[in-house]
Amino acid sequence: MNMLKTILAQINKMPRAALITIGLFLALGIFAPWIAPQDPSAQNLLDAGGGPSAAHWLGTDNLGRDTLSRLIIAANTSLVSVGSVLIIAMTIGILMGTIAGYHRGWVDDLLMRIVDVGLSIPSLITALAVIGIVGPGYWTMVMALSLAWWPMSGRISRGVAVSIMSKPHIEALRVLGASPWRIYFGHLLPGTIGQVMVYATADAGTAALAVATLSFLGLGIQPPTPEWGQMLVDALPYLESDPRQVLLPGFALTAAVIGFNILGESIALNRIPKPLTRRMLALRRAEVASWGKENSNA
Amino acid sequence: MFHFISKRLKHSLVLLFLASLVCFTLVVSAPGNVAVLIAELRGAVATPGYVDQVAEEIGLHKPLLMRYVDWLGDAVQGDFGISYRTGQAVNADLSKRILVTGMLIAGGGVIATLISLILGFLGAFWPYRLPDRASRGLALIGASTPTFFVGALMIYAFSVSFRIFPSFGFEGPESWVLPWLTVAVLPAAVLSRVVRVGLEDAMSSPFVLTAKSKGLGRTAILLREALPNITPIFINALGTQVGLMTATAIIVEPLFAWQGLGDYFLAGVRFRDFMVVQACLLLFLSFFIVVNLVVDLAVMLTDPRIRRQWS
Amino acid sequence: MRNEPLLSVSNLTVNLLTAKSAVRPVDGVSYSVRQGECLAIVGESGSGKTVMNFAPLGLMPTGVTTMLSGSVKLEGRELIGLPEAEIQKLRGKSVGFIFQDPMSALNPVRRIGRQIAEMAELHLNMTPKAAEARALELVKLVGISDPAARLRQYPHELSGGLRQRVVIAIALAGEPKLLIADEPTTALDVTVQAQILRLLKDVQKRLNMAMVLITHDMGVVAGAADNIVVMYAARAAERGPVDTVLVNPRHPYTRGLINAIPRREDPVGAEFRGLPGLPPALAAPFKGCAFTPRCDMAVPACSLARPPLEQVDGNVFVACPVVNHGKVAA
Repeated sequence: MNMLKTILAQINKMPRAALITIGLFLALGIFAPWIAPQDPSAQNLLDAGGGPSAAHWLGTDNLGRDTLSRLIIAANTSLVSVGSVLIIAMTIGILMGTIAGYHRGWVDDLLMRIVDVGLSIPSLITALAVIGIVGPGYWTMVMALSLAWWPMSGRISRGVAVSIMSKPHIEALRVLGASPWRIYFGHLLPGTIGQVMVYATADAGTAALAVATLSFLGLGIQPPTPEWGQMLVDALPYLESDPRQVLLPGFALTAAVIGFNILGESIALNRIPKPLTRRMLALRRAEVASWGKENSNA
Repeated sequence: MFHFISKRLKHSLVLLFLASLVCFTLVVSAPGNVAVLIAELRGAVATPGYVDQVAEEIGLHKPLLMRYVDWLGDAVQGDFGISYRTGQAVNADLSKRILVTGMLIAGGGVIATLISLILGFLGAFWPYRLPDRASRGLALIGASTPTFFVGALMIYAFSVSFRIFPSFGFEGPESWVLPWLTVAVLPAAVLSRVVRVGLEDAMSSPFVLTAKSKGLGRTAILLREALPNITPIFINALGTQVGLMTATAIIVEPLFAWQGLGDYFLAGVRFRDFMVVQACLLLFLSFFIVVNLVVDLAVMLTDPRIRRQWS
Repeated sequence: MRNEPLLSVSNLTVNLLTAKSAVRPVDGVSYSVRQGECLAIVGESGSGKTVMNFAPLGLMPTGVTTMLSGSVKLEGRELIGLPEAEIQKLRGKSVGFIFQDPMSALNPVRRIGRQIAEMAELHLNMTPKAAEARALELVKLVGISDPAARLRQYPHELSGGLRQRVVIAIALAGEPKLLIADEPTTALDVTVQAQILRLLKDVQKRLNMAMVLITHDMGVVAGAADNIVVMYAARAAERGPVDTVLVNPRHPYTRGLINAIPRREDPVGAEFRGLPGLPPALAAPFKGCAFTPRCDMAVPACSLARPPLEQVDGNVFVACPVVNHGKVAA
């Protein structure tokens, strides 16, 4: 309940543009199978490379598949894989982070050193190295990306956990003899999850980029499942004759990522006072004017 | 100062050792029998006897520690073993590939630095006004657009629509422009934000009030007071971005048909050519470690506070 | 020559507008400073004493919109309504500033020498070389030992007292006629406070400058100032020559402040005499006297109308009708 409240309070402060974009992405992703007007993998070679028409609003690709439907289903693909990656990565990260934050000492040092190393290697390289050894596939991709992603949430949750552990009510619980399990599961873990989830959501954009990049390279989502990066690479040979098939998935992906990035930026920067907007200024001036000219004597 | 450098060098050596350990373990733990793979590569029938012979030849029977020492000794001398796919030495044209990737990263890094400084300063000169909004909008879009899409857009705009630059190849400056621009977009976007936020942060510190009280104008304060303060932060962020550009190179090189290290690594991953993956990974990790070392030294030179801690 | 005040402020009101609120930290205050004179402005934190001196010269933090009314004349020139570009030319050249916290007032990544010399280049049109020589001279003037070596150092390599001397050197570098010192000793060690105050007093007399000394420390006032303005909640409570006001405080707030200073004849362990209550938070102006809730002489009329600042005797002005006219008249 408490967790829900913190999350809701944080959502309230987020910029509207980000909420709309993310909301749209989520809605499309969840309800894609019902929204998509046509079967995304129905081929019709006679119709291949066609422009927008009544039957295919955004045209068809080189195999004659309906682009609009594929774009919508791709949102679902992206959402599911990004969701799995973030859930796995966050589970590992939060566990490691809270353990480090609870124990401190050498456990903390060791785990955070591992996190440092993980963070210093670009996630794409980590993921590709894993795929190179294990071989491509959907679950390899999810596992590889989770492996590349957990250090981020590990570092954040460690920070949150440390700050929770130093709060007076935890100190009081300890003095009162609460068991470590109660402190960990009853207070530390729920408090950490709530805060880390917001950061993780903001990071979803980068995760979506990674999924699309791996699929673009042919090492992520495998055909015929539609995915934006993979749709783009499929259409790349026809860039000259049919650029729409390259541009559409690219813009769809970029729009989704922009939504998450606006969210991330709004979380990161809020410290420096900004100059007043014109409307604010007028409001304040009116307020001052209402004080009147009491200062006639001196 | 000397103390710092020697300490930092030792730290880097430890990291290099760990990196080599990671690369070695990765391949040792890979599924499948390497000897069979190589035997098949040589075109021979993989009889158990022959496989055994191959295993003996490449030292598979030796204890792990010995294998690691052998491998590391070879790697230090630039010998990364034999590619499972082609049967040729991994290091065949490695230096040429390193040069190509180096060109890509260096060009992209310079362009990203220039663009980010221009955008960041535009924003800091006119905070919350049109130039600031425009530059922040560009940064947001730049940081959100996938690199492969940036590349596709570059090709579409500059070589399909307007035939200004070739869409692929590594021949002469004209063919370098598009890959450089593509690789520069993401770091330029991230760094412009670093410059913008760093300058705004610096401009709200108390010493700026002193500078104002001296009668300095906004431009002078930005250039003389704020800029030196963000130099260490910028160098740090640039280092991270240069490291990240190796990942971008993996996408950009195949797109523009550049035969660099990224392209090589990707091919290795695609065909599960462990030796190539291992070699490239070791080179990438070493590059990150060296970049970090250079960044730390550069930060020490530009920040008197840190310099003093070590003198 | 000493007739025309160098700085004369009359009926100055400052409104600050921020995204969160609008406040009036200065509400109709008047004072003036002549050449060679030192005026102390005393008040608790939040009484508006810093804003009063910084806002007319355009020294406000970012994110704040300043609205000024009244009059501020520097060498006969009206500052209110002057464009920022003109005010910028005055800063450093006509007015030197000294800040409360020398730890953060200096740029951490620039050499001391540059930070001083830049002033001479800007305001005295000196070549970099001549400016370096001038910086050396100034560093000697403010009593820094080993001056040549100090110029090559960075702020974090100096102690707080030395840094404040550097800040003073910067303030003096443009040969200003007026020095505004905002709590120049507050952030320093007790042992260093007296030295810095002596230095300030010394250079002020030697260079025959006017000085506005903002402080909350009555001890500082007694040692350095000629005149005093006591501020309470954005308004002037009492104004006059230091020797009169400190010896014979009239306004209940001034009396409370002076009474709060521990005395030598206090027995060991005696209870600390403070003012009861808290100063009001900055906000909209008060209808009556802002000191009423803490005042032991308050009458009901006090909270109804704003007390005017009236001349009592000599040059002393007091804003308290009860003191000025007795309880009944108020």
